[in-house]
Amino acid sequence: MTDLLQREAKTRGHIPGESSMWFFVIGDLIIFAGYFLAYMYYRGQDPELFLESQARLNLDIGAANTVVLLTSSLFVALGTSAARSEKTADGVRLIGFALTLGAAFPVLKLFEYVPEVLAGVTPGTNVFFMFYYVMTGLHLCHVMLGLVILSFVIRNLRDPARKNISFVETGATYWHMVDVLWLVLFALLYGMR
Amino acid sequence: MARYVRNPLTITWVLLTAVTLVSWLAARDTGSAHVLNVGVTVVVLAIAAVKSQLVIWYFMEVRHAPNWLRVVVTGWVLTLFAALLGIYLIIP
Repeated sequence: MTDLLQREAKTRGHIPGESSMWFFVIGDLIIFAGYFLAYMYYRGQDPELFLESQARLNLDIGAANTVVLLTSSLFVALGTSAARSEKTADGVRLIGFALTLGAAFPVLKLFEYVPEVLAGVTPGTNVFFMFYYVMTGLHLCHVMLGLVILSFVIRNLRDPARKNISFVETGATYWHMVDVLWLVLFALLYGMR
Repeated sequence: MARYVRNPLTITWVLLTAVTLVSWLAARDTGSAHVLNVGVTVVVLAIAAVKSQLVIWYFMEVRHAPNWLRVVVTGWVLTLFAALLGIYLIIP
């Protein structure tokens, strides 16, 4: 604990990962913010339709997926911290667990999408479901890319010749961004009234 | 193992997950009837803002980042949620 705090104190003023990744992360945050604000604007045009449509979503899967991403993010953060402290084996294990858990997200999402589509609920149903499918679909693409990045992070950690803490931080930064975007989506689509 | 359990990151996660579980149970209690509720929306958006900032600050390690990065990312959270709430309250 103490050595961890000391190590963290030493990293003050440090950009986690490649600054080029932060360019994409900030860009993505701004683009998604545009979608979120547009969603809120269109919601204001017909709140009844949005409320009625929100009631058709599977809150349980939405909440379970929130816990999945938060927990996966925790393991990535712990894995990054371990890798930084030269505990590479722990880092591989922790990020491996984060990857396995993260892979549950698309599976759960499938259990949400399939019954909806089978019930005839598609992006064409109404403006709420257009936003729902486009925003969660785009987010799902980010999750898939995040899983690929995490597997490269593990490969990177496993090979002593390739090991590069900056790449681990870069992958972690991307994965946490995916988590943040989902937290907002969860509030807008499932939570608010 | 203890270094991972008694860790600021794990404590952050406990907080994030507890808040998520509480809001999940609270939302389930209301049943299937979804009616306009400004109070619920304000609380839901505030919780989401705090959760986002916690992930950004502790998991993304922005708290150790240079000032410009802290300002940009925290500014994103504040601006986004203020604008979301503003649109929600003003329209219609």
